[in-house]
Amino acid sequence: MSLIDYLDPLVAAVLLAGIYAAMSVGMTVIYGVMKIVNLAHAGLMMMGAYFAYELFERFHIDPVIAAIIALPVFFLFGIAVHWLLVRWLPKSDQPTLSSLLLMFGFWLVLQNVALLIWGNEDRSIFTPMTFSVIQMGPVSIAKVRLIVFVLAVVSVVILQIVLRRSWFGRAVRALIQNPYAAQIAGVDDRRTAMFSFGVGTAFAGFAGALLAMLYSFSPDFGRQFLLRSFVIIVLGGLESFSGVAVGALILALVETFSILFVPASYQPAISYALLVVVLLVLPKGVAGLLEKKWRVA
Amino acid sequence: MMRNSVWFGCRRWRAALLLVAGCVALFAAVIPAAAQAGDSIILGVVMPISGREGKPGQYQKEGIELAIKQINDKGGITIKGKKYAIKEVFYDDGSDSAKSATLAERAMSSDNATAVIGGYSTALGEAESVMPDRYKTPWITPGAGATSIFSHGYEYVFGALSPIALLGSTTAEFLGSLVDQGKLKKGLKIALAVENTDHGIDYVNGIQDWINKHPGYFTVVFNEKFELGGTDYSGLLQKVKAARADIFLSDAHLQDYITMHRQYLQSGMHHQMISYGARGPEADARKALGDGINYIFAGIWWSGKLPYPQVKQFISDYKQFTGHDPDSWYAATAYDATRLLAQAIQQAGSTDKTKIRDALRKAELKDSLLPGTVLKFGANGQAGYPFVIVQNQPGGKVEIVYPKNGATAEPIAPTP
Repeated sequence: MSLIDYLDPLVAAVLLAGIYAAMSVGMTVIYGVMKIVNLAHAGLMMMGAYFAYELFERFHIDPVIAAIIALPVFFLFGIAVHWLLVRWLPKSDQPTLSSLLLMFGFWLVLQNVALLIWGNEDRSIFTPMTFSVIQMGPVSIAKVRLIVFVLAVVSVVILQIVLRRSWFGRAVRALIQNPYAAQIAGVDDRRTAMFSFGVGTAFAGFAGALLAMLYSFSPDFGRQFLLRSFVIIVLGGLESFSGVAVGALILALVETFSILFVPASYQPAISYALLVVVLLVLPKGVAGLLEKKWRVA
Repeated sequence: MMRNSVWFGCRRWRAALLLVAGCVALFAAVIPAAAQAGDSIILGVVMPISGREGKPGQYQKEGIELAIKQINDKGGITIKGKKYAIKEVFYDDGSDSAKSATLAERAMSSDNATAVIGGYSTALGEAESVMPDRYKTPWITPGAGATSIFSHGYEYVFGALSPIALLGSTTAEFLGSLVDQGKLKKGLKIALAVENTDHGIDYVNGIQDWINKHPGYFTVVFNEKFELGGTDYSGLLQKVKAARADIFLSDAHLQDYITMHRQYLQSGMHHQMISYGARGPEADARKALGDGINYIFAGIWWSGKLPYPQVKQFISDYKQFTGHDPDSWYAATAYDATRLLAQAIQQAGSTDKTKIRDALRKAELKDSLLPGTVLKFGANGQAGYPFVIVQNQPGGKVEIVYPKNGATAEPIAPTP
């Protein structure tokens, strides 16, 4: 392989990292504030994909617009799910078995609802843009991947700004850093948790709608992406939003480049192997490593 | 206190009695069903109608049920002058290998099925294939073609699909014929990306065998396996691109074919010829990828374009039975497997499973829908009729392009 042959995978990895970041950031928000490992994230992504599909099939709404509409719709859905199910969970500063089981059960419910409504067959969104390719010298970029990347990056940047500048963002970060001190300082932890769950769900739905532009999907959709989201947030340090971006880029680069050197049949093992390595070597993720370096400096 | 414990003791006994009564009632409900085996022949059917193989599995189930309906409408199977209706006991294995084996076992043991038809896809077929000899029950797979299933010396295992190695060699032979016609140049490079199963291994072996026997036609410059059920094949396709081959041959299942070809189109690659093995003309693929599937060719076990009168009749009956046209080859092999089994039971003149097995070894379905019009099993239990090569052509058409004497259109090569 020549150097030019590595350009294509490099571009592909960067584009992939964008969507990886968008699909993982929702999990980080929920975990950071509520210490809930949201197993239903996969189901919510799947619902996001079907949401975009229905808008496209019934009302001919472009999936790009559908993904943007998914943000407020899934935010409200997340608020409703929190009000109905999540708020009854006992409070804890560690992930609890009850929260894991609840979210796993909710994922199963979502899967079965999707099976009842849309059946088992794979669906896909097919627009004139789906197979359009931009040729830049030796590098070819699928237009749809570029659009998904831009949307994903913009959404993550906006979330980052919201978390830095708004009162809600400050409350979220305060709860992540020290929940007790945050409550003493007047942060309404229940309301912040509810909005955080809404934001996490919104990003899951949004990511699902974006993924539907790239892949075909069925009620089982999201399972593989859930594992990747775990790897990314563990890489990122579980509660760090900038860590998610770094984690997404690392995973995308490792997945894309490792496949060039190992047989393709080993591809599914790469994410698992990376998760094990990170848990052993960097249990606090990249954010933990950087924090340590700054302290030493 | 004492009264309470006596009361609880009584309650426990009552609960136990109720449980026993419930079990007795359950058995009573089940026993008449087993007794019906006296006036009907129980046929176990284990197919995936959910999960990732759900669509082809559903088509195979429909083919089996159409055959059963037609046989029963004619009075059933005649054994020593007495008519027996076929009674289907169906199980959905959910595209899960472990479940598939367990359900085949249940059909052969608890249901005491006279024979079982099951195993769509090599993975599910391989899982089921260990059961027939254990329970001395004839088993026919209409959807698994890997030779490994038939190489263990099993005596009750039969397959209605021609071997995958033959699919590979027919694919190479077709490409070779394009070279002979001057449509492709000699010495082209082939990239192979196949599923990591015996199906994929057989496919590669078939292609390699033909290439070895016909030096100078093609060279294989890339050969890799991938896991079925993936969502992202961009890394694999990146390697295919870097191999700079002229022809891209994959061996994939329906969902993998759709996912991989979608990413193939998005990668901007172009090859002179593309194939996904036995997948290509399916309606789901056209629905998902539109004209993106044009010019893909596939080696398949049956086509609705075969020029036999029984094929026309089958298409009409199938449409009336299911409300839709047969999609690719799936229903036809299952339909013929069921008819051949019914014929063998009749020839055996008994519901004795060993006699049916012996009859299956000799049986020949002479009005078969499949290429060559005769379906019979070879010495290892697997059928061996020829493949037809079909190509997706513009306008949503699927034409037979090889062998030449059965072709309904000229192959379009190289891909424009």
